[in-house]
Amino acid sequence: MSSLEELSNAVIGGDQDAVVELTRQAIVEKVDLNSIISRGLLPGMTVVGRRFKNGDMFIPEVLMAARAMNAGLELVKPLLVDGEVPVKGTVVIGTVEGDLHDIGKNLVGMMIESNGYRVIDLGIDLEPQRFVAAVREYKPQVVGMSALLTTTMLAMKETIEVLKEEGLRDSVKVIVGGAPVSQEFADEIGADGYAPDAASATELVRRLIG
Amino acid sequence: MYPAFDGGQLRLLKEDDIKAVHEASVQLLGEVGVKVKSKAAREVFRSNGAEVDTATEIVKIPRDLLEKAISDAPSRVILYGREEKNDLHLEKARTYLGTGGTVLYALDLETGQKRRTNTQDLRDIGKMVDALENVSFYVINTYPQNVPDEAADINRFYWAITSTSKHVMGGMYTMKGLKDAIRLAEEIAGGPEKLRERPFVSFITLMVSPLVMDGLYTEFIMEIARKGLPLAIPSEPLAGATAPVTLAGTIALNNAESLAGITLAQLVNPGTPVLYGSTSSIMDLKKGYYVAGAIESAMINAALAQMAQYYQLPMYGTGGMSDSKINDSQAGYESALTAMTVALSGCNYIHDAVGLLEMCQVFSYEKMVIDDEIIGNIFRVMRGIEVNPDTLAVDRLKEIGPAGNFLVDIHTTRHFRKEFFFPKVADRRTRIDWQAAGSPDTAKRAHQMVREILAGHKPTPVDAALRARLRRQFPEIQGEES
Repeated sequence: MSSLEELSNAVIGGDQDAVVELTRQAIVEKVDLNSIISRGLLPGMTVVGRRFKNGDMFIPEVLMAARAMNAGLELVKPLLVDGEVPVKGTVVIGTVEGDLHDIGKNLVGMMIESNGYRVIDLGIDLEPQRFVAAVREYKPQVVGMSALLTTTMLAMKETIEVLKEEGLRDSVKVIVGGAPVSQEFADEIGADGYAPDAASATELVRRLIG
Repeated sequence: MYPAFDGGQLRLLKEDDIKAVHEASVQLLGEVGVKVKSKAAREVFRSNGAEVDTATEIVKIPRDLLEKAISDAPSRVILYGREEKNDLHLEKARTYLGTGGTVLYALDLETGQKRRTNTQDLRDIGKMVDALENVSFYVINTYPQNVPDEAADINRFYWAITSTSKHVMGGMYTMKGLKDAIRLAEEIAGGPEKLRERPFVSFITLMVSPLVMDGLYTEFIMEIARKGLPLAIPSEPLAGATAPVTLAGTIALNNAESLAGITLAQLVNPGTPVLYGSTSSIMDLKKGYYVAGAIESAMINAALAQMAQYYQLPMYGTGGMSDSKINDSQAGYESALTAMTVALSGCNYIHDAVGLLEMCQVFSYEKMVIDDEIIGNIFRVMRGIEVNPDTLAVDRLKEIGPAGNFLVDIHTTRHFRKEFFFPKVADRRTRIDWQAAGSPDTAKRAHQMVREILAGHKPTPVDAALRARLRRQFPEIQGEES
């Protein structure tokens, strides 16, 4: 087995220590840096994604694999010419104003991140202006809003209104999720998409950004 | 050995109750006695000191004879598989569940309609038994209606044994059928001695309530005991009809009857591997017939499991049936409640636990898959909760702290597969995903799984040359070899 194959397998197994060790070794042996990423770290995560979809792997294993892959990327990153690993896009997420729930939102963030996107998690109980500021600062392609309470769902609508008023609505895709949210509701408030769970949220982002 | 878990968490009888049931049963056998319709059996009882009335055929079994038989019977019975990984070690409160019957009808896989069972069902169900991980044995649960009655026994045992390498147990209809089945098993084992070393087949006899030992079935007991092969000796008192309506009375009667059969088997051949047993239930007093999914049936079996553990005898019991006609919620809850009650009592060999509907008259392939999942849930409860510093995870909370999460943690990935049961039939999707899949209900999801098993599963075969020889030896076996 080549060392890059071994690196892929370490990612699949979510073995962060092994990923760090193998990445370090590859760097020392002067393996092409892009190959470490494209033939070692990323293919591992592709396998994980496939197995997850087939029901052979579970969320905690996917997240452990993503964490292991990121640990490898962190080692390669400073050595790249521009010091940045190319990302597929940026997603800003947060729980809307009045709502303190975050485990679902965190999970969505982690799953999107594990698929190669940069995720900016703004936290919970976010008034619309926080989303506005984040869109200005990070220039994301997607803004994701979460709510668990039927009473806080309406804050999603308000946030979209404010984004419109600030002239930012057309620069981003807005997606929504959370237990009480539905496709009908998403359509009603003028969101670009809705996903019922973390895996479909990742699919949705892929579809919207391409 | 096939993987198994211990029951015994549920105790419906108190220590004093167990002794009271025992004393009542001793009294029943010693004072009322059992009507034994086999002359040969009466002779065995008489020559060992029981009081026998030839005119009435009543045999009164004294306490010492009974208690000696209980101590002669092995506390541990191994029911072997054709392959060693499928061996069942029956003792204490270790619990296995599987099929049972015997039914004349099945719900057709194509049409969903009730139809007569045939030899193909024997084979398909065997394959399903082989594939389903929570089903530990194949009690032959259908009667093939496409062969003459006198060929039923040999067809049942041949197709069952060749369709799964798990343990096969069955009832018989004729003495010739029993002898043929034993000969068949000896051939497959490589001779009578080899079969006695690893009996991968065993037999079911029965007692008739109240307090009757039938002529033919009693001779089955004696024939099997002489061969030294394992046998189950259940009785089937129906509370309110062939037994007192009180559960305690039914339990004492069932206990007495099964022990009477065990006594005969031990007198014929001390040390014969016997399973104490029950298929007891209640009579529905609105309509006047047997019902299978009654919770009282499970309670009787659970209490008898405590009696079996008191005697240190392995037990053949009953649980997991439903009286519903289709795979609806009644089918699910009756099966789950009765199977769980009996399993948690630690009954060793719970038959009828998969695939049965409609007062034990109809087999459903879909239900078999659903019941396999019910048993999976029960096993999860039986495995219990592991408590130690690692599982208490205080150190993980120290590290992760308030407001953190456990989704990305080695402790989670290390433990989740054994801490959680992962259902295959139950639908845990969102409504959107479920609708996208065509809104399948439980039976429809199970149906798909049945299709996959029947199309894809390959049980370890019996050698083709041997099968060809058996087909020549027993020409009444019907059906193309696959």
